[in-house]
Amino acid sequence: MARDFIHAQYEKQIPSNTFVYFVREALRRIWVSKRISFAAVALIAISLLIVGLFLLLAENLGRAVIQAEGKSRLSVYLDPKATPEQIHAVDMWLAARPDLARRHFVSRDEALRRFRSYFSGLSDVVGQLDENPFPASFECEVTPGTIHSAAFAPQITELRQLGGVEDVQFDWEWVRRLKRLVGIINIVGLIAGAVLAVAAAFTIANVIRLTMMLYHEEIQIMRLVGATESIIRGPFLVEGLLQGTIGAALSIALLFAAYFVGQRMLAPTNSLLWSFLFAGFLPWQKIVALLAGGMIAGYLGSWLSVRESGEEWVG
Amino acid sequence: MIHFYHVTKRFDRYSTALQDVTFHIEKGEFVFLTGPSGAGKSTLLKLILRQIRPSEGQIVVNGRNLSAMKRSQLPYFRREIGMVFQDFKLIERMTVFENLSFILTVLGLSPKEHKKKAYSALRAVSLHHKLNAYPLQLSGGEQQRVAIARALINDPLMLIADEPTGNLDPDLSKDILQIFADANLRGSTVLLASHDRDLVHRSSRRVIALDHGSIVEEKQAAPEKAAPRSESLFVNW
Repeated sequence: MARDFIHAQYEKQIPSNTFVYFVREALRRIWVSKRISFAAVALIAISLLIVGLFLLLAENLGRAVIQAEGKSRLSVYLDPKATPEQIHAVDMWLAARPDLARRHFVSRDEALRRFRSYFSGLSDVVGQLDENPFPASFECEVTPGTIHSAAFAPQITELRQLGGVEDVQFDWEWVRRLKRLVGIINIVGLIAGAVLAVAAAFTIANVIRLTMMLYHEEIQIMRLVGATESIIRGPFLVEGLLQGTIGAALSIALLFAAYFVGQRMLAPTNSLLWSFLFAGFLPWQKIVALLAGGMIAGYLGSWLSVRESGEEWVG
Repeated sequence: MIHFYHVTKRFDRYSTALQDVTFHIEKGEFVFLTGPSGAGKSTLLKLILRQIRPSEGQIVVNGRNLSAMKRSQLPYFRREIGMVFQDFKLIERMTVFENLSFILTVLGLSPKEHKKKAYSALRAVSLHHKLNAYPLQLSGGEQQRVAIARALINDPLMLIADEPTGNLDPDLSKDILQIFADANLRGSTVLLASHDRDLVHRSSRRVIALDHGSIVEEKQAAPEKAAPRSESLFVNW
């Protein structure tokens, strides 16, 4: 009776040291199959590095968009033949609209001065001209809320029709394009990432399958002495999880190294593009997402293998 | 404890390993399963461990009908059985101690208990000094004893052995059989398959003889002789 009771107790027991056993076994198996494990880790790292590069690009372009949106400008270029009354009427029209009231008048001389300071290499060309080619203008600071409001487009049309107004230009069109580009980069990054993560998961699945073949006899013995499927599969699942985690951590380290080197070497060249691209590293949420992506790919790969093996082997 | 009801096992249309086998082994019994090579002994043991399923008939072990047993229950059922395989089935990359403690990990015992239990199981087979040896560093007899220690470590309800003395000299065979007798005295039901007719007939234990997949003879155990405990065990062989 006592023995029966002890055996019944075994059925209810959850091994207390199981997780330690899983991790120890998984690390040992990774070490035993170093080369093949390295290949799986490298593939995960490369996959996530590519995803990370896309994310970093999109992140920094996104930052540029937010920055540009915060100080969007509307330029109302005046006809060179506009009378002072017409200019005053345009000024009054702008003053009457709170969204466009923060305005600044740029005279033709100021426009020429600006051009010379921005494009010093071209100032000689302008000097050769008989007269100042730049029109006077009003520059209005516009908030992102105003740009997206429904009433804004009719207002622009009305402004264009005012006397003395030659053209109305606004710089958020490129912001919109940039936003679209950020969206495309994000989508391409996610698609490429998903494809590469699936490829990495299948690589891990194959690595785990090979490991399982290597331990086939041991697994059979485990089954015969009463090991549950979770105890048999546990080390393989942890092995895949560890490979995915190591690969993801490696990809984040490589991404940061690339960012650091880029920021040090390319950003100081004063190129607008480089200063945009290396404005900052990924936020912690995206770093965690990359890490989680690696872990999920690793776990999924090993889960696929152990699931198949469970169906194949009749104990 | 072990009940076979008209069990037949066919691997294909032309090879029948067991044909209409019926027998009952009660709790605490010590039974020899004998017969020439190919008689169906190993198949019968595999059926008890549910490594394979019968083609016909029912098998009930420790109150469980093996045909109706769910796959998820199988590990817990197997933990009640200490199995000694003909080819030992030791894990070569593990030391003797690890081969034993691995079972205890499977059973969920703490690492502290591993050493104590492994040591006492190895002491029972006189191999406690080979704790750190690898299976391939041991002789066939020593490997056999490690396999027996592994089967005994969990103090099983049933002890099943497939040719445990197959390649051993007579003295070593006697020692091995004594280990099984001790386990039987502690309460384990023992079923021991052997083709060694001399060994089986020298003992006074119950014998089930198989040939060509059928039971051809059943000899009941002789009544125990009045002798001191340790001596009676020896005389019984």
